[in-house]
Amino acid sequence: MKTAYWIGVGLCVISLWGGCNRNADPPVTDAGLVSEPVTPATTSPPPTKSTDAASTDAEKSVEVSSAPAAKPQFQLGDMLDPFEAPPLAELDAQANWIDRPVSDGIERLRERQANESTFDTVEKALSIRNDSEESNRLICAALGRLPAHESDVDPNAKLVRHTYIDMKSTNPLMQSSVIEQEIAGMTSFGLFSFDWNFQPFASADSVRSWQSSADRMYDKVVMRDDLTWSDGHPITAHDVEFSFKAIMSKAVPALAVRHGTDKIKWVHAYDDHTLVFFHKEPLATNDWNIFFSSIPKHVYEKSIADDPKMQVSDYHVRLENSPVVGGPYRIASRTFAKDVILEARPDYYMHQGKQVRRAPRFQQIRFLIMTDSSVALLAVKRGDIDEFILQPQQWQSQTKDADFYEKCTKAFGVEWVNFHFLWNCKTPYFSDKRVRQAMSYAFDHEELLKTLLYGLYQPCNGMFHHASAWCPPNAAPSYQQNLDRAEELLQQAGWSDSDGDGVLDKQIDGKLIKFEFTVNCADAAERVAICNLLRESLDQIGVKCNVRPLEFTVLTERGTTHAFEAMFAGLGTGTDPDTSDNIFGTGQDRNYGQYSNPEVDRLFAEGRREFDPEKRRVLYQKIHQLTYDDQPFTWLYYRNSYYAFNKDLRGFVFSPRGPYSYSPGIDSLWKPALH
Amino acid sequence: MVNYLIRRLLIGCLTLVAITAIIYALIRSMPGSPLTLQMAEVDPSKAISEQDFQQMRRMYGLHKPIHEAYLGWLGSLCRGELGRSISRKQPVTKLIAERIGPTLALSVSSLILTYLLAVPMGLYSVVRSNRPEERCLATGLYMLYSLPSYVAALLLLVLFAVRLRGTAFELPLFGMVSDGHAQLSWWGKLADIAWHMVLPVTCYTYGALAFMARFVKSNMEEVIRQDYIRTARAKGVGSFGVIVVHAFRNTLIPFVTELGLTLPGLLSGSVILEQIFTWPGIGRLFFESIAERDYPTIMGLTLMFSLMTLVFQLLADILYAVVDPRVTFQ
Repeated sequence: MKTAYWIGVGLCVISLWGGCNRNADPPVTDAGLVSEPVTPATTSPPPTKSTDAASTDAEKSVEVSSAPAAKPQFQLGDMLDPFEAPPLAELDAQANWIDRPVSDGIERLRERQANESTFDTVEKALSIRNDSEESNRLICAALGRLPAHESDVDPNAKLVRHTYIDMKSTNPLMQSSVIEQEIAGMTSFGLFSFDWNFQPFASADSVRSWQSSADRMYDKVVMRDDLTWSDGHPITAHDVEFSFKAIMSKAVPALAVRHGTDKIKWVHAYDDHTLVFFHKEPLATNDWNIFFSSIPKHVYEKSIADDPKMQVSDYHVRLENSPVVGGPYRIASRTFAKDVILEARPDYYMHQGKQVRRAPRFQQIRFLIMTDSSVALLAVKRGDIDEFILQPQQWQSQTKDADFYEKCTKAFGVEWVNFHFLWNCKTPYFSDKRVRQAMSYAFDHEELLKTLLYGLYQPCNGMFHHASAWCPPNAAPSYQQNLDRAEELLQQAGWSDSDGDGVLDKQIDGKLIKFEFTVNCADAAERVAICNLLRESLDQIGVKCNVRPLEFTVLTERGTTHAFEAMFAGLGTGTDPDTSDNIFGTGQDRNYGQYSNPEVDRLFAEGRREFDPEKRRVLYQKIHQLTYDDQPFTWLYYRNSYYAFNKDLRGFVFSPRGPYSYSPGIDSLWKPALH
Repeated sequence: MVNYLIRRLLIGCLTLVAITAIIYALIRSMPGSPLTLQMAEVDPSKAISEQDFQQMRRMYGLHKPIHEAYLGWLGSLCRGELGRSISRKQPVTKLIAERIGPTLALSVSSLILTYLLAVPMGLYSVVRSNRPEERCLATGLYMLYSLPSYVAALLLLVLFAVRLRGTAFELPLFGMVSDGHAQLSWWGKLADIAWHMVLPVTCYTYGALAFMARFVKSNMEEVIRQDYIRTARAKGVGSFGVIVVHAFRNTLIPFVTELGLTLPGLLSGSVILEQIFTWPGIGRLFFESIAERDYPTIMGLTLMFSLMTLVFQLLADILYAVVDPRVTFQ
């Protein structure tokens, strides 16, 4: 009974602690587990508390240990320095505006395709098997074309896409994963886009004119006046200004979207359609910093103060499930772990009874969530899914037979996603570039490309893809295995087998260090095999390499904290070469290997301030050469995009970022009408 | 009896606190945090700044020491709150509520089916022990037991969802409901779900069926050698009466123990089968939450599993007294 008594007392204390804590705390339940508060339910219309008067979850969380009386208040745009926008007339008088491109991704693609040769018939393209580069080229050329006439398009077509993961937020400011970015690209309102060559332009669907000042400190955009949100309200410049300020509010967790946007000094709406972006400094990358999606001001301005995460209150939860959108599609339904269904918005392309822009090519786009790739492939073969990313082994062995080609075909495109070994330059092993070069010489690249990767992938020789303008025309070729050269370089770097145990060693700070390190990789068979090939290669030159597969989260953690010696990883390409500064710049956020070369830093800084495209190109080509020489990575190969398509699908065009992450991207897809 | 129950409940509460504290300490000690994957998912050109990262840590309370954070969670639990998922941005109770139904639909159906088939099979094996038909049955059951469920699942899908498509034997490839489910009548909806459950339940069941049938047989083998069985036979009790009434009844204690251990598993789901059949169950949620370091969801699920284990163990202990009059709670 005594035990029971003390247990009872213990539970009471815990309960009381909870109760006391509730009183002491703001309504935020913090502690890392109960992460967000239960905000009092609101009903539409949202609460009308002034933004200044309301407090945020985040700030309340911070306040837990402080005096409860001093609650910080939510202030829209509190990360911005105060700024008074000058009158527009004054700006117009001094800016010397330069016209910038206002364009349409589809039209750009149509112009490109007008100059391309085509395969003789679609029927023939559908009848062949994709078993060579030539057949792939023919299939892409015939099936990737836009419709010759709009009457060729089935106006009631539905597209079923596959996704491995569910979306976690429909709010474009909160997007982080690929699926969220793709859905935001179809549903949210934005002013700018870029094509397959990464050339930015203002979208003709949203913008009448885009001008930059001669000194590149301002960008002026005049929006179209026939834009509406899905609730019927007009989309105005004030929405863009509000969205910018929301992104630049501390309590709004728009982490991914904030990067780049935080380089903008201010955004000011002079009227419903005229908008000026004020920059902090004249940068060539400012063109990319002004890319962000917008949310409707009239929907969020009164509610954001009470719930800056925009996902907690009942009002925001309803909006999460059924958001007010400005893009060509609206979210019709989200069924947990099953699908997300988008439907075309007639009010996007119709205005006051007139068609004012191109109608979406699909009445419905459904993202089917299937986590198992084998089952997804069966679904593609059955015709349940229209497109699916094939794994290399699926491309190689499971999509060759008549069973697959009955309803499907397949195609690939080179994607600028490079895979590499990443060396931690702050470790005693890899601080010397000669050692890193030796690693690249020691690795059996041929075995990797021909055997482990089935001969499917292109070799990678450095930071920028050889087809990009940022790669020097005379770039050195990719490394080939040369064990003699590797041994010579290691010897030059001071590594030798002084004790005759078969493993190289070196005196560092008075200690004899053996050359034995660990390479980390994600726990996937293909990646482990590549690391094992590294181990086998290095065994031949007296370097001991241990392979340690890790859960992806742990691998990422090791990278961000630099707690590794070597790592196998992959990286996609940014749209601007300056984005690589984040990976190779000294002390930058994604510079996991702690590589540092002051000359590379200087060239990146110069590159982002250079507006002449030709001069800028030369700067990045120099960076490519320098990093090739330094080998902070042993660059291995580029991963292709491998896709299976239903034979009904047309307009599939690959870019260096895959078939979707550019303009027109998904807008170029269509299904033929049955005449 | 009442004293026993009170004692067990109090010990159960203490156990629950210990389990959750240990799990909490373990998950907080794992490398990475709920922000790690979010950072990894972001386009490399869109890195999260250190300032934003620290802001997010404070926002989600990740900056607090483990003991303080755990007590906070416990306090919230006492107020009836399980918190909100960090990665899914929804209340944990809602996430669990959404998934518990589909998981139970499969596991309860599978459990009932397993016991309905395993008991007669086990008893039949005892009666026909060492005869060819028993050997065939045993071989078949061993083969099923050794066949990995994910292999069977894919083979069954290829057969019933692809090869037999368009025939009366077609079964669905994925999901829990058909596309037009909402438009169906109540009975139509039930039939639709049942149709989608056939293959997952088959895969859930066959391994457990093999195990349970052999479990029943091995327990019975011991009992039928007891003196009281010989006595019953000598008194002229029929074969059915001897096997079912006298022998099987005396194997119920290990049976109940097994049931008590099985029941909490009903809620845990199966990661692999849920993934293959695209079934929206608890298993996937738990697995993904661990990968995402979604502490509130992991703790909510851990609490549920622990609670169910304790409750079902208590029920099993009570059932001992029901099936065996010699067991008392004094």
